[in-house]
Amino acid sequence: MLYQILSITLKDLKVLFKDRGGIVVLFLMPAMFILVMTNALGGVFDTGGSNNPTPLLVVNLDTGELAAEAIADLGTVDGLKIETSYDGETVTRELAEGLIRDGERRVAIVFPADFSSRILARATDPDAPAAVVAFIADPAAGAQFLGPVQGAVQGFILRTASYAQAPGQIGIAFEDMAAEADSQAAPFIAQIGEAFVERLENGDGLGGEVTESPVTFETVAPADFKVEQFPNAAQQNVPGYTLFGVFFIAQVLGISILREKQEGTFRRLLIAPVPRAALLIGKLLPYYLVNLIQVALMFAVGVIVFGMTLGNDWMALIVITLAASAASTGLGLLVASVGRTPEQIGGLSSLLVITLAALGGVMVPSFVMPPFMQTLSKISPHAWALAGYQDVIVRGLDTMAVMPEVGALLLFAAAFFGVAVWKFRFE
Amino acid sequence: MTNIVEVHDLRKQYGEFEAVKGLNFVINRGEIFGFLGPNGAGKTTTISMLSTLLPPTGGAATVCSFDLVRQPGEIKKRIGLVPQELALYPTLSARDNLEFFGSIYGLRGKELRERVNWTLELVGLADRAKDRIDQYSGGMKRRINIAAGLLHRPEILFLDEPTVGVDPQSRNHIFDNVERLNKEGLTILYTTHYMEEAERLCDRVAIVDQGRIIALDTPKALIDSLGGGIIHLGVNGKGEAVAEQARLLAAVKSIRRLDGMVEIETRRAQEALVGVLEVANRLDANVTSLEILKPNLETVFLHLTGKTLRD
Repeated sequence: MLYQILSITLKDLKVLFKDRGGIVVLFLMPAMFILVMTNALGGVFDTGGSNNPTPLLVVNLDTGELAAEAIADLGTVDGLKIETSYDGETVTRELAEGLIRDGERRVAIVFPADFSSRILARATDPDAPAAVVAFIADPAAGAQFLGPVQGAVQGFILRTASYAQAPGQIGIAFEDMAAEADSQAAPFIAQIGEAFVERLENGDGLGGEVTESPVTFETVAPADFKVEQFPNAAQQNVPGYTLFGVFFIAQVLGISILREKQEGTFRRLLIAPVPRAALLIGKLLPYYLVNLIQVALMFAVGVIVFGMTLGNDWMALIVITLAASAASTGLGLLVASVGRTPEQIGGLSSLLVITLAALGGVMVPSFVMPPFMQTLSKISPHAWALAGYQDVIVRGLDTMAVMPEVGALLLFAAAFFGVAVWKFRFE
Repeated sequence: MTNIVEVHDLRKQYGEFEAVKGLNFVINRGEIFGFLGPNGAGKTTTISMLSTLLPPTGGAATVCSFDLVRQPGEIKKRIGLVPQELALYPTLSARDNLEFFGSIYGLRGKELRERVNWTLELVGLADRAKDRIDQYSGGMKRRINIAAGLLHRPEILFLDEPTVGVDPQSRNHIFDNVERLNKEGLTILYTTHYMEEAERLCDRVAIVDQGRIIALDTPKALIDSLGGGIIHLGVNGKGEAVAEQARLLAAVKSIRRLDGMVEIETRRAQEALVGVLEVANRLDANVTSLEILKPNLETVFLHLTGKTLRD
């Protein structure tokens, strides 16, 4: 029986590798998706991170010093790249608008000439006009992109303004206190106020050791939650589109079985003294092996082309791959069992594979989906497999940690095989 | 002579439609047994049942002394099937195809190579063994199709319409192969709707129509049963009278009326023709058509069913 299984497997591998269309679907298609989508979506996944900061054009028309201080502060923000010149040319409002129009940049800020003077005037005169910083943005950039940039810029400018206004406002406060004090204390209070303002104006601060920021933030998950860490473009697209290709085996396998039936070779196999189990195993095994080769090759593309790391536990990746491949070949047999024409099999497999991939977070990451879609995605084996891969390569988890995903994939495989064998027509 | 196939009241029903309606026949070891009938007569269904592909819905059969329903595994080892369709992998070479089909019968190593070489020599395609099947002509594909059924030395070979769509050269090659294999002791069940093939190759022929065997004998006996042949005489108006008087002629075996026509089964065709035309002349009957059918299996089928094998 083993010899017959191997014979059928070897024959199917020969047939498969002589079918250029099949090879394109199974190997070239996911590889191209990985290359194109990872490059195309690199900006979406990585923008704002320290590895790929968002470029921010800055036009400084301020005749005072405050804009320069604010710009220097913005330059310390992780995820922002301040550009006061472009191609060796100082950025002007016209240049900034032109670059945004041309799609070269998406956002710019303009500090007006009276930026410093208005802020300082406002410190002592509440009725003085406020300084107006123009925020020029590509309308197509979207609130998800603009919101964080605008927030960071506003925060830093307001901090600069507050520091600048502090001496004036403190001087007024001391003057008010001196006016309300008795004649003996008033000169003394006024003297302290003047000294204090002078100290602030000299940049000596309020005393004590100056720190960068008295507050820092860290992102944590509840103790019983898995540590969430979001993938970059390669970590999303390499395992995602690898799985897309892996599950596309359903179409190739389905059509292969149908072709055997239509061309009569299945009749020859059925009248040979081969157990039906051996027939099915022999038929599925080559596609299972092809799945393993697909994953190895696509992950190699991820590592070599995009420098993707594979986490700390190879065994975890292997276990997920074995389980995902079982689910995909099971789906292929299911498609072959219910489809009666190449058109039916092509249509059904495309519908299933693309829908399950989309639902499973291959095309749109599940972390950006609304909650009900995230829940719905659990009916897709792609979702479990992708979560398993990302647990390993993004979050550094080990084999034991991905057992729930592996278990879910094996359940999918069992369900697909069960229905497929029940519906399969040995005729 | 022992029976290699025994069939008793074999039936196959698909829902309301009964494709095979109670067949009874035996195939002797070493003979070429023909199944002659038009498309849809139930030939392929019968072969599918005898080769264990389809379970019968009634009756019983043994193949190589094993029960069709209870011992399909034993039967599978001993039979070869050459299906009507080209059951080959078109992108693989002839040798790859044959090695694969041999291997699923458990052949391996030197024995497998020898059997593959033998079948390639037999069908005359040893020099094209490395070519892909989809580069072969239709006739060459048919020959490899036959070779694939012979690799494991079956005791009986089921050949299902092996010459459909084949050029004359390949057809003759196939005939030669069938005769040679039979001489070497292989029993063959040969289905066809070409009466010339059945006449040339078969020791006995079962004529099948609508799921039933309507005649079974040697080709010669079946043809002889028609005597001198059949005359179809179209007569305008006085058909009944012509038939009545022609029935009295010594050269006429039997007469029946068919849609505006008189069918005359003759003992001696020429003598009967002269007599029948004299009768028509004497009765002043208007003869509108005249057809003389030489006795052969086609004529036998026509006589038995009122239709041609290609209908």
